[in-house]
Amino acid sequence: MEQPRRITDSFPRRRRRRGPGRPPGRLKNKKNKDEDKDKVQVKLRDCPRAPSQPSPDPALLEMLRRFDLSWEYGPCTGITRLQRWERAQELGLKPPGPIRDALLEHRDNPDVTY
Amino acid sequence: MFSEPAAPTAQGLLAPPSAKPPTFPRVPVSGYLDCSQPFQLGERSFSRQYAHIYAVRLAGMRPGLERCAWSRWGNDIMLRKLSELQAGEKCCVVGTLFKDMQLQPSILQEISEEHNLVPQPPLPKYIQPSDELTLEDELQRIKLEGAIDVQRLVTGTILAVYGSEQDDGRFLVEDHCFADLPPPLPWNGPSSDRFVLLASGLGLGSVSGEALLSTQLLVDVVTGQLGAEGEQSCAAHITRVILAGNLLSQNTQSRDTINKAKYLTKKTQAASVEAVKMLDEILLQLCTSVPVDVMPGEFDPTNYTLPQQPLHRCMLPLASAYNTLRLVTNPYQANLDGVRFLGTSGQNISDIFKYSSMDDYLEILEWTLLAGHISPTAPDTLGCYPFYKSDPFILTECPHVYFCGNAPHFQSKLLQGKEGQRVLLVTVPDFSATQTACLINLRDLTCQPITFSGFGADNED
Repeated sequence: MEQPRRITDSFPRRRRRRGPGRPPGRLKNKKNKDEDKDKVQVKLRDCPRAPSQPSPDPALLEMLRRFDLSWEYGPCTGITRLQRWERAQELGLKPPGPIRDALLEHRDNPDVTY
Repeated sequence: MFSEPAAPTAQGLLAPPSAKPPTFPRVPVSGYLDCSQPFQLGERSFSRQYAHIYAVRLAGMRPGLERCAWSRWGNDIMLRKLSELQAGEKCCVVGTLFKDMQLQPSILQEISEEHNLVPQPPLPKYIQPSDELTLEDELQRIKLEGAIDVQRLVTGTILAVYGSEQDDGRFLVEDHCFADLPPPLPWNGPSSDRFVLLASGLGLGSVSGEALLSTQLLVDVVTGQLGAEGEQSCAAHITRVILAGNLLSQNTQSRDTINKAKYLTKKTQAASVEAVKMLDEILLQLCTSVPVDVMPGEFDPTNYTLPQQPLHRCMLPLASAYNTLRLVTNPYQANLDGVRFLGTSGQNISDIFKYSSMDDYLEILEWTLLAGHISPTAPDTLGCYPFYKSDPFILTECPHVYFCGNAPHFQSKLLQGKEGQRVLLVTVPDFSATQTACLINLRDLTCQPITFSGFGADNED
């Protein structure tokens, strides 16, 4: 199961400051800051959208949204975009090919399902 | 027909038995192919809406309907979508029919508190003179009036109407057409007499046991234990038995135990348990001798929505040890000896009966074949699985035998189509009420009823 998406995912997660009193075990200031930076990066990698893959650009998302709203291919609720594309293909409605390529390229991205 | 070869050559039952009793081998099974894969559900996700099935139905049947429209009204007529209609212009529109019925049971009206309605008792027919027809395509809908029989048609049918739009926004229909018979299948039938026995509505587990003797007689005839040698040699020509639904009776469906207190119902078991045990024993006798296809029906322990999935083999431990038992879906499609069978347990026909003025089950059966769809009222008034990819109830090929179970009486008709289609339409009667089953001869597509009755209480002999 994918992690549920939160609205705060678009902001980098920052580790909360421990508070005024320093916990035991942290000796020096410099070492503290390095640890903080490492932890921040680890948190980002845990996010569903890994930074190694390019995030989908807004033009692609706009194209996908237009595909959803075009009435020729039938209703869009309750099925994934890929299922809708394949259904339109089987019915002979000739959906545009680049949409399928984009959907397969960003398969891991939860923005792709609808 | 069935027992004609028996009479002249048979040794009568009044003669002493022959020294060495003859054995009659059953005709071997050749060429069985189960074609009901579209009706078998893999994943079952009910989180979808039913708009998908209507969209796919329209998109799937539109090309065929356009061809029919061109061939009927000429190649030069204009096919328009509802959004492109112009007032007064004669054109043809393809769409889904929706019948607005006042008496149609609506769950929202029942639970609405402001109406304070008592739930409507089930009526035999829900039609009224004030019903209206509306045609819907992908985007818009329009009211229909004119040369179209409002009472006869049902919601969910895909049809093409020819006419023009009036000034008041309604569409005046001059003519309409359906998808017509699907393209024919090649005929590979057997050259010798082969019979298939169709029975439905065994109704086990009912309060009265009158039909049990008839059921046992049926089993005895098929397994060749009844009659003289002539009848037994005829019974050897039965290659298959298809039980088309309602193996259990409606009495097994009572859910009184749910409302009673737990201490009163502790030792009782559901009526269907005993009935299924009886069914298992009957099927065991049949399966040792002949291949049997068991289709579930309205009162059988399987899912309610169409397509009904096969009964689970754990319920029939004795009979499922034999590989001659096949538990199949409802609707069921198969190639038996080169003859394509397609049929349902009757829920689709009885649902159309409730919402249409057509009274004759055979007429409704023929109408569904001409409309190109097994069950147009699903999912509106008949439960249906929310398909999204394709509608498996659309008829793409013309079967050779098209049957429906649980009809009030036996009727059959051979329909000839324009493109050389030959379809035998059979309404299989309810066995628990009529004690009649059907025998279909695969060689020449003829059908005859066979009735089993013991001496009833009103018979004096």
